[in-house]
Amino acid sequence: MIWIEILSKHRDVAGRFRVDAAEIHIGRGYDNHVILDDPYVAARHVRIFRDAEGRLVAEDLGSANGLYLGASKSRKPQLVLDGAEPIRIGQTLLRVRDAAHAVEPERLAGSERGALPIIAAIVLGAVLLAINAILVWFGQTSEPRASDYLVPTLTMIGVVVAWVGVWALLSRLFSGRAHFLRHLLIAEAGLVAFWIYSELAQVASFALTWTTIFTYGYAVAWIVLATICFLHLREVGRTHMVVKGIVVGVLLVVAIAVQTLQRSEAFANSGRPNVTHVLMPPSLRLAPVRSEQAFIDDVARLKAKLDADRAELKPAVEP
Amino acid sequence: MRALWRSAIIVALCSVGAPGLASSAAAQGLPGAETVYASAPPRLLQIRTLLADAGRQTSTGSGFLVSADGLAITNYHVVSDAALEPKTYRLEYTGADGTQGAVTLLAVDLPNDLALVRVDKQEAPFFAFDKAALDGTLPKGERLYSLGNPLDLGFTIIEGTYNGLVEHSYNDHIHFTGALNPGMSGGPAVNAQGQVVGVNVATRRGGQLISFLVPARFAAALLARGREAKPAAGDLRKDVIAQLASWRGALYKSLAEEGFRDRVFGSYQAPETRSAWFECWASTNAGASPKPRASINATSCKAEASVYVASDLNTGVVEVNHSYAKSIDLNQFQFATVLTQLAQPRLTMGGSFRKWYTPQHCHEDFVGVTPAAEHPPLRVMWCAQGYREFDGLYDIALVAVTQDRADEALVSRLNLQAIAYDDALRIGKSFLERLQVAR
Repeated sequence: MIWIEILSKHRDVAGRFRVDAAEIHIGRGYDNHVILDDPYVAARHVRIFRDAEGRLVAEDLGSANGLYLGASKSRKPQLVLDGAEPIRIGQTLLRVRDAAHAVEPERLAGSERGALPIIAAIVLGAVLLAINAILVWFGQTSEPRASDYLVPTLTMIGVVVAWVGVWALLSRLFSGRAHFLRHLLIAEAGLVAFWIYSELAQVASFALTWTTIFTYGYAVAWIVLATICFLHLREVGRTHMVVKGIVVGVLLVVAIAVQTLQRSEAFANSGRPNVTHVLMPPSLRLAPVRSEQAFIDDVARLKAKLDADRAELKPAVEP
Repeated sequence: MRALWRSAIIVALCSVGAPGLASSAAAQGLPGAETVYASAPPRLLQIRTLLADAGRQTSTGSGFLVSADGLAITNYHVVSDAALEPKTYRLEYTGADGTQGAVTLLAVDLPNDLALVRVDKQEAPFFAFDKAALDGTLPKGERLYSLGNPLDLGFTIIEGTYNGLVEHSYNDHIHFTGALNPGMSGGPAVNAQGQVVGVNVATRRGGQLISFLVPARFAAALLARGREAKPAAGDLRKDVIAQLASWRGALYKSLAEEGFRDRVFGSYQAPETRSAWFECWASTNAGASPKPRASINATSCKAEASVYVASDLNTGVVEVNHSYAKSIDLNQFQFATVLTQLAQPRLTMGGSFRKWYTPQHCHEDFVGVTPAAEHPPLRVMWCAQGYREFDGLYDIALVAVTQDRADEALVSRLNLQAIAYDDALRIGKSFLERLQVAR
């Protein structure tokens, strides 16, 4: 007993025929076991039989358009079939499987999946809302208003749901399953990672006087975005991972390069470094206080930088 | 009201109806604006800046002859385009008597906003300087007449009064109560005998008839100094830069010499300058609505010491600013947000930034001044930018925030424009040393 499966372009099974014959003929004509309504297929296109070792073999019966393996471009008179890679005749993909073909083990049903991802999604969501609320609270220096909390919270929820919804839709289209929960986890983890970074950067810029940490904050934002996009793409389909990785990597490099250029041009234009001088409660200070003379020596060294800029920027002396 | 109208009309009738009496009135010491103006036309000029290529005027000002061989005084800001960009701009004059001709720039006095020019006139009548004005003994209330060509509408004479020198100003300026208008800059302000007391220079926006004159002694000094000058192309630009640097050097030297005095702000004491040319104002947010959650009391002392360098560059502000902030019901993170907003260093930005300044560089750190018992630990930010064309001059913004308490802090700010870097280091250092815990 042999099964002939007609596959779609995305290799989903579009039709399946059971044939109990020693030799199977496939073509457009009505004297075949399997009839294909493909104008690029010959009336009698290919025959499938078992060779001396019992393997299934496909043989071209002298068609004009020939016989190919999968997406390969080289025409073959004969092919040994393994049941995994389909053959192509005309514009039709066919997969031939023996009744003894081994299938994947049974998957566990959703209800038996662990509760862990759900708990993780809820915990991450709560962490996000909490961070958001704390930031709003710390930034509130005048009359407290409920809308100060509600607007950013609802905006964030809306954006996350829309983002996850788009990815879930893509998943549903390309892999048949939405995986909403997994996409939600990815998005939440990305946001938490970015927020933790930006808050730590603020604390470090004050407590350790690492002020330059802000300068590259945008690169971190892009890296986080690229990482979650890659993980989303992985959930959409686990094929072509290398291609997806390269595409995301190239987009990441382009984005960082463009923004670096834009920032350096903006700096040249406005002359203002993109730095906020953040102050925090004095108890968070980690760096030791420097002596006054050491500080004056430090700022005296800025003069060399300013003079170097001046030498570079000074308009040429007119002859 | 009717009586007032009648008297105004009588005055007008008299002056129109009896022109022959004017000279005799002058002789009797009772001259009016008419007599003063009568002798002015051959000595009074409109000075126009023209685009060299197009031959059209881009701005106008006034000027006046001070010697028989065609030397005239005007404001630096009237001729600055021609001084800085001699290839793009040239100068011309139109006399109040209708004569016209070219103007050669001889010398400038940047700090006092004066320029000496030569016009092609020989054996022309000219204005003499008032002796009392040169000596500074002019009495307040003396009647002055300011001459010029406002808004290119035609030569006018304006009556006003001398009100002494402006207080809280580094450069000497005469306070003239009269209506100066754009275009009159560089024109003379004369006494009833037609002798020059000052040179029209500026008005105060938002004031009523508050105008300023450059005292005549600076014009006399420029005349003595520049009479023989024959500047080559480009020399004046270099001279402007050199004058700016030496004037700023003297100003900051005087600031350092006069020193600081301590003033208490809450739990801290901070330096305030002793220089008389600073004007100080206090502000508070106590009455703000909605009710503030941190009280902020600020004192800001600003020196009126900025100078016109070019049409898009005024520089030279010196500012000392202390804001004492105390939390009312904010937690320490919220209070830190308030301090962050108060403590951002501010340097000139935007507009003509690219033309005049180099990019800004900042450094910040925690600083502890010894002995630690008297000085709170500080978070200090120092931002600096240089002037592209003025070697050795920088703008500095220094901000220090006390770090000893979570619910109160003093944010002290020192802005020094157009200063030599070493002067800034010295003044900045003594400023930081004077930020102390109140005894």
